[in-house]
Amino acid sequence: MPDRSRLRLVVLGVLVVSLVATLLGRLWYLQVLNAPQLREAAQNQQIHDIVTPAPRGEILDDTGKPFVDNKPSLVVSVNRTALDRLGEDTKTAVLHRLARQLGKPYPLLDHETTPCAYTKVPTSHGTKVVAAPVGAPWYAGPFLPCNNGLAYQPVIVSELKPTLAAAKKALQIKERPEDYPGVTVDLTAVRHYPRPEGAFASSMLGYIQLIGPKQLAALPADERDVFQNAQVGVTGLEAQYENYLRGTPGVKQVSVDHLGAVTGTVKDTAPVAGDNIVTNIDAGTQAALEGQLKDAITAARHSGFTGDYAAGVVLNARTGGVVAMASEPTYPPNTFVPSVKARTYKQLGDALGSPLVDKAFGSASPPGSTFKLVSSAGLMHDGTLAPGGYSDCPTNYRDRQNFEGENGLGVIPLRTAIIVSCDTFFFALADQDWKRDQALINQHKPPREGVQNMTRAFGIAAPGGPGIDLPAAEVAPGHIADRKNTKLNWEAHKKDYCAGAARRPKGSYIQQIDAFNCKYGYQFFPGDQMNEDIGQGTVTVSPLELAVAYAAIANGGTVFKPRIAKAIVSATGKVVKRIKAPVRGHLPLTKYEIGYLRDALYGVTTSRNPLGTAVSTFAGFPMSRVLVGGKTGTAELSNTDENGCWFASIGGPAGDKPQFVTVIEVNKADQGAVSAAPYVRNMWDKLYGFRGNKALFPNGVPPKKLPKVRIVEAGPPRHHGGHHAGGANPDATSTQKAKPTVAASSSSPSALGPPPILPARIERRAAVP
Amino acid sequence: MTDWSESTRSAPISLRRETLRERAMDRDSFLRQLDWVLVAAVVVLCVLGCALVWAAAKPQGLGSTYLKKDILNIAIGSSLAVLAALVDYRTLRAYTPVLYAASLFGLLVVLTPLGSTINGAHSWITLPAGFEVQPSEFAKIAVVLGIAMLLAEKREGRSDPTRNDILLCFALSAAPVLLILAQPDVGSVMVFVITIFGMLALSGIPGRWVGGMLGLAVVGAFFVVHAHLLHQYQLARFQALTHNTSVAAQTFKFNQQQAGIAIGNGGWFGQGLGSGTQTNGQFVPEQQTDFIFSVAGEELGLLGAALVVVLSGVVLWRALRIARYAQDQFGMLVAVGIVCWFAFQTFENIGMNLGIMPITGLPLPFVSYGGTSMFASMIAIGLLQNVKVRSNR
Repeated sequence: MPDRSRLRLVVLGVLVVSLVATLLGRLWYLQVLNAPQLREAAQNQQIHDIVTPAPRGEILDDTGKPFVDNKPSLVVSVNRTALDRLGEDTKTAVLHRLARQLGKPYPLLDHETTPCAYTKVPTSHGTKVVAAPVGAPWYAGPFLPCNNGLAYQPVIVSELKPTLAAAKKALQIKERPEDYPGVTVDLTAVRHYPRPEGAFASSMLGYIQLIGPKQLAALPADERDVFQNAQVGVTGLEAQYENYLRGTPGVKQVSVDHLGAVTGTVKDTAPVAGDNIVTNIDAGTQAALEGQLKDAITAARHSGFTGDYAAGVVLNARTGGVVAMASEPTYPPNTFVPSVKARTYKQLGDALGSPLVDKAFGSASPPGSTFKLVSSAGLMHDGTLAPGGYSDCPTNYRDRQNFEGENGLGVIPLRTAIIVSCDTFFFALADQDWKRDQALINQHKPPREGVQNMTRAFGIAAPGGPGIDLPAAEVAPGHIADRKNTKLNWEAHKKDYCAGAARRPKGSYIQQIDAFNCKYGYQFFPGDQMNEDIGQGTVTVSPLELAVAYAAIANGGTVFKPRIAKAIVSATGKVVKRIKAPVRGHLPLTKYEIGYLRDALYGVTTSRNPLGTAVSTFAGFPMSRVLVGGKTGTAELSNTDENGCWFASIGGPAGDKPQFVTVIEVNKADQGAVSAAPYVRNMWDKLYGFRGNKALFPNGVPPKKLPKVRIVEAGPPRHHGGHHAGGANPDATSTQKAKPTVAASSSSPSALGPPPILPARIERRAAVP
Repeated sequence: MTDWSESTRSAPISLRRETLRERAMDRDSFLRQLDWVLVAAVVVLCVLGCALVWAAAKPQGLGSTYLKKDILNIAIGSSLAVLAALVDYRTLRAYTPVLYAASLFGLLVVLTPLGSTINGAHSWITLPAGFEVQPSEFAKIAVVLGIAMLLAEKREGRSDPTRNDILLCFALSAAPVLLILAQPDVGSVMVFVITIFGMLALSGIPGRWVGGMLGLAVVGAFFVVHAHLLHQYQLARFQALTHNTSVAAQTFKFNQQQAGIAIGNGGWFGQGLGSGTQTNGQFVPEQQTDFIFSVAGEELGLLGAALVVVLSGVVLWRALRIARYAQDQFGMLVAVGIVCWFAFQTFENIGMNLGIMPITGLPLPFVSYGGTSMFASMIAIGLLQNVKVRSNR
């Protein structure tokens, strides 16, 4: 063999060795170094999750009557990927057909099924993928609908309402699969509102919706897959107690082959039903309050007033539990299930009294003379007025008239000033108060601002709001102006004031206010303090806050963070957690001072001389059995003849500490004593069973014991038979295990528990390219 | 080295015939002459191949069917190997032109309606009773023998082939290469190009020719790609290795990723024969043929997969050794041709499983399921043994 060949043979040998070495090196890389990632990739391909949503917990009243439970319903889902495979024309045709059948706009349906990050927009050359537009003419809801999940997951598109009409629509789709490729009809559980005793409680209960992208992102990464088609609480108690209500979805992990056909079961965990929320709300009281608010509005409107809204709270003064809380006008609790119709949402937004905002806790306005309870406490505490001290009640104080131009009463004690609601009494004290604070400032000392500080001690305009167990975004805290926040406020809004002063027609009412605020808005004037002490002007309070404040006087000084929920009880009836209203603090008042103020409140309803402002309202009320005290409030609304009418009251068995606080606000009506107080009295009649009413609470006390919760029974073993796409029934024994409450195919509700829910087949990953 | 003398190399033909006769009568001595390491490596590869083919076809419910067919293929292949080992060198040389013509005919038939298309390549002839023949596999044998004959024919008294020899080689190989390119089977073409290049280089042609051919290959590849001479899907197979996002490239990339995932899923010791989850889920396409190595990776782990690589390496090592000690230029070139063929095909097949080579339809010798490929590989082993036995006489 020539040398040249021999050498080249060696080269060939070296080449062969290096090729073998390369292969071995790469093999090492894949099977040792990169193995964990590849093994995970393998797992992800082989294992699909079938998520069975857990039955959501119910929300119950204090006697166990459900405000919210679940009902089986037929739902229509669209598998967008399956549709896309049919080609653009067929897909559009199917979606149009489906939109007609479901009675919803096509673009809405299109959006609901399109993955959230993208939406297709037609251009001259085909379609272009752009970010979703915000706001669209065919959808006025708060959230633009889109498919959160991955493209191949079916999206629920039908109305989640357990009505016959909805079922009929769904069945028509199910009967014509050839017309609706990629569209499926399944049985699922939807939120249902039995409205016990006819109570709404809509905004308090809140509603659930398909989980939003933000909420999904907030979940731990390993839970996102499981919850991406979940309905979650968006507002109210549904949102506040989401973590309890939600439960744990069942996850069945099945191994699949390259076509997605099931080849076996890897893991099968049954869903765990969500916990129930037992509330302090009493359905009967809630319904009664809602009725009174409705009557109050009707009466105000009959008398020629706008009467745009009314709101009220019944608080358990001893525990801080919310017994009833309502706002009128309201909306049916199922309005937002599964999503609000564009037209309905717009109507609700535009309606008089804006029903979408619950005025009991979601807005604050000047409380009028009901606030004198707080200012009296403040004036007493900072020494402007001695407890039981006397002061003048003139007809005018520095050009300011007494309320409704009533004549002065001369020098009177504080109690009388509260009973007759003498404004000038408070004007004079407020003036003194202001002057003292100004003197302190001139001495470079901090002002006392006794009323302002007392207000916050009462839980009004306190940092963090009233502290109720509702999402903070829905709760509006009140406001009390002091020197500091007045200046801060002016700095923040000066531009607007000055712009308004320049822009508005000269001499108009608002222009004058703007012009004044532009120039002097940073100052806290004596007039501001005077207004504030009678609950007008720069002080605003929500009915809930006022109820908490009155409860503190009623119970001897404890300021609660009120609680709607009373306990969390698992689906099996186990008490998971008892909820007590946390104590925010105690009033910085002596027992005598609190007693004095409480006595003054009783005077308002009982004193004939001087005549209490609510004596006539409570005429005939058996005060010897149930002693009710209160305070009228009439806040003059700027630029109108109408008033914000309030009545706040405390009451309970005579000779005992008061049990309840009842507050009602009726906006744009006559006067507190006329437009609000009678409805508060009606509430007391109903609470204790006077004037032909049946007592709402048998012994006058809200139940302390927890009600028996409907136990969600573990259903009989159910079979998954034949539900697997293309695969043999993988593991009969494991699927036949008893699964509590939720199983596969049966749709019959079990005798005791809520109906079973069909598993929404949620496939996590696609295996086929 | 010692037996590599001029006298041995130019031994008279009569003597060779005697030897042949002796060999036929005295089987022990013939068997002793065989390269048993090579035999052992091939046997183990075939056994592994059977197991892997069974495991790959099992999820489709065709495990035993494929296993039986594979064993049959190995049996037929072994008979062909024995035949190739026993056949007289001279006969072989004499029949090489016939073989060559026959394989050209086969390649032509493939292009007629008699041929059938599998996976985009029109490479098969369907025979009655469900058999399919891939003439390009036999053409490999024919070309190796043909080139070896051409280059060895005029060796007497000269140290290297003339330019005419080289050009004749090109002409000889051009016909089958073009016919296979028409199928189109780029993988097989690459095997031919590399085998012919290797044989030419090892035949002792001047360095400038070797360099020239390498340069031509580079320029040619560049031209082929930029003149869009490749089919889109052929290009996509290469693009799958890069970050191309065309749909075709994505599909190939997906296939390759699946193979990679299956292999990575095996880890050190594998999931056990027949229990690979990726394999049983049929995530890897063409797993009993092109992607058989991924089954080894997943079910036998690093140890099993490395064994396949090492055994293939042993086959190449023994073939190189046989080339090194070949008695004459013809034998050496045949062995070298087989080395180049096996080396490229093995590296390409395992490399595409491991994601470092583009996807082609080349089977892994002795392991992949496939009759013609098995027969051709076995004949190659027989030829190697033939050369080995001769070199010892």
